[in-house]
This record gives sequence, C-alpha cells and structure tokens, in this order.
Amino acid sequence: MSAIKKYEPQQEEILSAGIDIGTSTTKLVISKFSLMNMAGGAHMPRIEIIDKKVLYRSPIFRTPLLSATTIDMKAVDELVKKEYQSAGVETKDIQTGAVIITGETATKQNAQEMVHHLSDQAGDFLVAAAGPDLEGIIAAKGSGAYEYSKKTGKTIANIDIGGGTANVAVFKSGKLCGTCTLHIGGRLIEFSGNQIKSISSPIKALFRQWGDPFSGMREGDSRNRQEIKSLTGFMAAVIARMLNRELLPADQPLLLGHEPDWQEAIDAIMFSGGISECLYHYEAGTPATAHYDDIGEILAASLRESKELAQWQWIHPDETVRATVLGAGTQTTEISGATIHVEASDLPIRNLPVFQVPFRHDVKDGLKRMHESVQQALEIYDSQRDGQNFALYITELPYLGFRDVQELAAAILDAIRIKPNPEQPLVLVLESDHAKVLGQTIKVQKPNQRIICIDQIKVEHGDYIDIGHLLQTNVVPVVIKTLTFHH
Amino acid sequence: MNPELIEKVTKLIVEKLQTQNGTGSSHSHASAEPKTAVKFWNHTSAASVSDFQAAAEPSGLAEKTAGNELITFGSYSERRQADSKKRIVKEQTKDIVHPSSGIENPYDPEGLKELISKTPARIGIGRAGLRPKTETWLKFRFDHAAAVDAVYGTVNEELLNRLDLFKVSTMVSDKEVYIRRPDYGRKLSEEAKQMISEKCPKEPAVQIIISDGLSSSAVEENVEDVYLSLQQSLKSLGIDTGIPFYIEKGRVAVMDDVGELLQPKVIVLLIGERPGLVSAESLSAYLCYMPRKGTIEADRMVISNIHKGGIPPVEAGAYIGTVVQKILKYEASGVSLVQKES
Repeated sequence: MSAIKKYEPQQEEILSAGIDIGTSTTKLVISKFSLMNMAGGAHMPRIEIIDKKVLYRSPIFRTPLLSATTIDMKAVDELVKKEYQSAGVETKDIQTGAVIITGETATKQNAQEMVHHLSDQAGDFLVAAAGPDLEGIIAAKGSGAYEYSKKTGKTIANIDIGGGTANVAVFKSGKLCGTCTLHIGGRLIEFSGNQIKSISSPIKALFRQWGDPFSGMREGDSRNRQEIKSLTGFMAAVIARMLNRELLPADQPLLLGHEPDWQEAIDAIMFSGGISECLYHYEAGTPATAHYDDIGEILAASLRESKELAQWQWIHPDETVRATVLGAGTQTTEISGATIHVEASDLPIRNLPVFQVPFRHDVKDGLKRMHESVQQALEIYDSQRDGQNFALYITELPYLGFRDVQELAAAILDAIRIKPNPEQPLVLVLESDHAKVLGQTIKVQKPNQRIICIDQIKVEHGDYIDIGHLLQTNVVPVVIKTLTFHH
Repeated sequence: MNPELIEKVTKLIVEKLQTQNGTGSSHSHASAEPKTAVKFWNHTSAASVSDFQAAAEPSGLAEKTAGNELITFGSYSERRQADSKKRIVKEQTKDIVHPSSGIENPYDPEGLKELISKTPARIGIGRAGLRPKTETWLKFRFDHAAAVDAVYGTVNEELLNRLDLFKVSTMVSDKEVYIRRPDYGRKLSEEAKQMISEKCPKEPAVQIIISDGLSSSAVEENVEDVYLSLQQSLKSLGIDTGIPFYIEKGRVAVMDDVGELLQPKVIVLLIGERPGLVSAESLSAYLCYMPRKGTIEADRMVISNIHKGGIPPVEAGAYIGTVVQKILKYEASGVSLVQKES
C-alpha cells in the first residue's frame, strides 16, 4: 500500500456558495470543489480544481422587498439561513463563492449594503459582486455559453434576460470579447389582475419618444393592449441590432451603460435567465414556474417569433433561470499557484483594486518604473491617502535570476514607502511562478513587512481581487471581479 | 586546342551548372526557408553561419562544411560560453512564448495555437511529403546535438569559484567510463574523501552538494540561482548548512558516500538530469534523510524539471527549503516521509 500512497496526490474539498439576488427572484446554490495536486511526485505541487459538484439548489424565491426601492435585508438573511439548513451546511463551512446582486435590484437604495452584509454573514470568504458587465459574464459561464465557445471555437453571445435587464456577454474560444446591457426584462411592465400595475421608467421614456398611442399608456390601463406586443417585438429587434452592433438612436432609451464593445461577428446565441425559462421550461413543475404577472411570457414569445433573431443559430442553455447563481457559485473561484508566500493571519483580504506593473520582459526597465507605478496606483485608488490598499500585479517578467529577485524585492520595498499606511500588508500578484522566492526575499530584506505574495493568477489592470484563507493544500482561493477588459 | 575556345566552353558549362543548381535548389528548398535554419547554427558558433549558408549549395561544398563543423564542434562548449549563451536563452524563451506552427493554412489556427501552447513537444510542425520539414528536422538535430554536448561537457571553473565551491571527483576518470560504469560514479575517489573530511564540518543539518551528472549545461545554466535561493530559504528558516562542494562526474547515490563521511541529517544534491530533446539543461534536486551506505532508492526524493522553461530555478530553491524543513521535522524522506505525514 505504501508504494501507492507515494503517488497519491494531496487533495481536499471545499464548499462554495453562490447567491443571486435578482430583480424578480433570489436563489442560492451550494457546490463542492475537489482540489488535487496534479503534478507528478517529482514535481513541485500544482493544485487544480478537478471537479465541481452542485450539492444543493434552492427553490427560486421572490426577492423580498420592503418597498419599491429597498430590499428586505432581514428577509434575505432569513432566507439564506434557512436554505443553508436545508442544504445541511453551516456558514463556517463555506470557504468560497460569491453573492451577486443583479438587474434592477442593484439600483435599490440599500443594494450595496445588502451585498456586503451578506458576503460577511453568509460565509468566511464570500465575495460581493455587482455590475451589469460582471452579471453578463457570470451568467454566460453559468449557462454553458462560455464552455460552448471554448469547445467549438465559435463566437457566442449569451443573453441573460431577467426581470429588469438583459445582460449580454460575448465569448469566442473561451475568451471574453465584450458585453452590453439593455433595459429589457419581464418585469418592466407588471400586471395586477386585468390591469397594468406598473411601467418602469426606461419604458416610459421609450413610450414618450414613440408618442401616441404609447405615450398615453398609464398604470391602470387594460393589460390586453396591442401596444404591449409591439413593445416586446421592438425589444427583440433591439436585441438583434445590439448583437450586430447597429443600435439606432431610437433604441437608446433601452441601453444601460456602454454600447456593445466586441468586434467579432456572432455565430450563435444562447438565452438564459427568467425569460429563457419561459422559452425552455427546464424547471417545469418546480416553484420556478410560478406566475409572475408581467410581460415575461409575451417577451419570450416575441423572441421566439423574431425574424431578426432567427438569423443566428440558437443553442440551448444548460441552465435557464439559474445561470447566474450557478456562475456565481461555481465559476468565480480560481486557485493560486502552490508555492506562494502568505501570512495566514492577514487573510482573507477583500476588494483590492489591481494595479498592473508590466515589466515588458526587461528587469531594468520594470525596476525603473516601480516607483512611478506605485505613485500612480496611489493616485488612482487612494487619492485621499486614507489607506485604501491595492494589489500590485507584476506581469511580463523576464527570466529572473537570484540577483534579479533581490533587486526586485528591494525596489518594491523602496517604492511602497510612499504608501500612507506602512503597516498594511503588501499584496503582490505575479503572473509567473515566482511568488515564494519573492515573498521570502522581501521577508529577508524587511522582516517586519506583512506580505501576501501569490502567483499564477491572471487578472487585468483595474480588476478587483479577493484572496481567501490559506487552504490545506497550501493554495488560496482567489476571486477576480473583472469590471473592465481590453481587446 | 584554342585556349579562347576552352575558356568560352568552360564559361558556358559553369554558367549552365550554376543556373541548374540555382533553380534546382530553389525548387527543393522552396518551403524549407534556409534563413530560419541558419538561426539554429547561429547559436552553436558565430563562425559557422557562412558555412551553413553554403550548405544549401551543391553537395561538394556541403561535405566541406560538415568537415568544418566537426572542427568547430570540439570547442563548442567554451565558445558557447563566451558569446552565445545569452542568445540561446533568448531563443528558448521566445520559442516558449510564441510557438509557431509549421502547418500551412490550418483549418483552425486558433485551436492549433492553443494545442501547441500546451506542450513543448514537436506538434503542429507540418510536413513535407512523408517527412518533417527541413526547419523542424534541423531543430531536432540541433536539440539532439545539444543533448550530446550536455553529457560530454564540463562545468566552468569560474562558476564554481563564484559560488565558492571546491571540486572533488568520483572514481570515474573520463566520460566514457562514466557512461559505462555507473557504479564508479556513485563512489568518491580516495582524494575526494580526504579533501571533504579536511574541509567540511561534520554533522551539519543540511549538506548541499552539486554534481554535473549527465548534464553539465544544467549546472551551468541553473545551479547558481537554485543554490543561492536555497541558501536564502534555509537561512531564513534557521537551518544550518555546512560547507557545500562540487562533485565531478557523480551519480545520485554518491550522496551515500558523503553521508557516511559527514553524517548530515539531510543531503540536497543538485545534479544535471539526463538531457532530453525539449531541454538539455534540466536540473534535479535529490533529497534524502540521513543517506548512508545501503540507503534504498525509495527513501530518496526528487524535484525535477528545474530549468528556464520548467520550474523557475529561483522558485525551486525557495521551495526546496520548505521540503528540507519538512524532512527535518518528520525525520524521514521519500516514501517514509509520505507514510509519516499521513
């Protein structure tokens, strides 16, 4: 047996939670990640996530609201607590994951408070995430669109339509090409009985632009008005124009944020989100099919009938209404390299903005710019000098000899002296496998420096990074929140 | 005969031959791109560049070139040391960062790029008929030659002086014996034993030794960074290291002899690996808790693949330090360590 044991790689399992608080619905998943040392016995360890298993899917709940503009935080807390119980997990068992607040809910008064509160309460290292671009990306990972692009090399647009927004993310060969968000969703007009209960403001703006008879539509009117079908038909056409990057000035009231920013022609499309459920009925028989009393079904029908949208191949999603929550629960965590230098007491560390220092494959060149880079990072992220920490992301390192590492460590230590709070842990993220030696060298040069030095993580300048607790396999889970991207 | 006529005829024939050769070679080398091939020779020695260009010419010249090449071959390692070291490194890194495909008009260029980026093996290289393309073939020959040179080369004295290592040898007298008699490579010579006993303190926690093994290039390229980083790592962990030295033409089990002599708790042996076609410069670190005569192989452990395209040497050094710490803590290495750990 002992001979077999020698080659048995180190492994462990961690639990991840995903919580999605959307415009109409709130849901939660618990999944289990299996981590394993994938390097052979004679190599330095390389820990990878080799399996992700969804252990528990909550029912789809209505998002609890106190009023039209405030989330019922207490009710959300209760809901999460209850669902953890049903799943048979405790808060302290959750080692990674993300809470994401999506769609119109993100515009509620207490949205930010809610998401940060929940990320603190519902797990030791739950990451707070929000923002329409991020939503689109996470949904595309949960729906299977990202995987599809990776497998086929095709360009696919995932269109996640929920109650309030349609979040589009375009992937090609597993690479993000761009995103776009539209005010298109089921809950933009709500009904009550036979009457229109509410019309959201972007739709009102659109109606005003269209003039009579649309501009005359009011709450309390009959729900059977022809104009509603015209509206959903228009929405389908706007989606098609957006996919072609040909939005018209008349479409602008529905655009949330930036114009579509990918360059590629789209080969295939995939729908996820609540409206996708209306199209595909994956959750038939579960509480998800509850009647929502809004334009969701009509919108789904318009999408199905749209001639413009028929020009693309439609790929069935793996998940409909749960795409975002699965994305948040299973697709946000990465694992650092296995030879790193961290001080366990300083972890987890949250929401650090990333400042990239590219070395352009030249040590001298990079070292020269180190001071300037730290200065710039301070100007951007801590302009008031109140101690907002940031991570330095050192990329494009050339081959480093021992003496280069010494110089690099010294240059970093020298450069960070201008930070207002020197007690703060120095957070370094390296693209290449050098974290242990750099961390160690910094420690030798300045023994009282608190330092977190991790590697083999790909982030982008301007991303936000969260670094979790040190795991038994000597890696840390990392969640990167991509808020911008480059072509 | 009329000398003018002879001259004229000769001129005609030569001209004809030249055009034939010209068109002939441009046909057969149409896709071979001798220019790219030149770059490989560039690394071996600056002098052979022009010779190689000539190699694309008729065969008589090529033979002569081969002769020249043989002559320059002998001084290869020193020359390379002197002027081409940097370029080799650059070339290798470039190869790793931007693998290029030899397939013309691939069906899925991005997919191909993805596959090529996943392995240093020679995939996606295209073909000419049933055979590999000239460039690929030359690269293969080059890598093979580098592997042979790595075995037969010697480690530069200057490096040993820089790292303050004294040099001893095994019972092996020359490389041919080294290859035929692995057992000699596992034993220290009498002079070596005496020198080590004189110079090294006994019973250090860790004894570091370095040996060329089967690749002197591995030691030349990587040992300095691994060694310095390991020293730093052990020092910051508060582990005492004794006086390190260099063993020429050693095998892994030579550490047992050193163990008998100096009685260290742990030996770290940095030794050149048998060269392969991906890298001739790969270094291994063998670690063993109290190696003595009769130590079984299961108690040795290894961290291999330390080179510029594998595990970065500086990072490896830092990592080996923590492994040594673990060995000292559990007082075991290899399989025994795994058993004690679990």
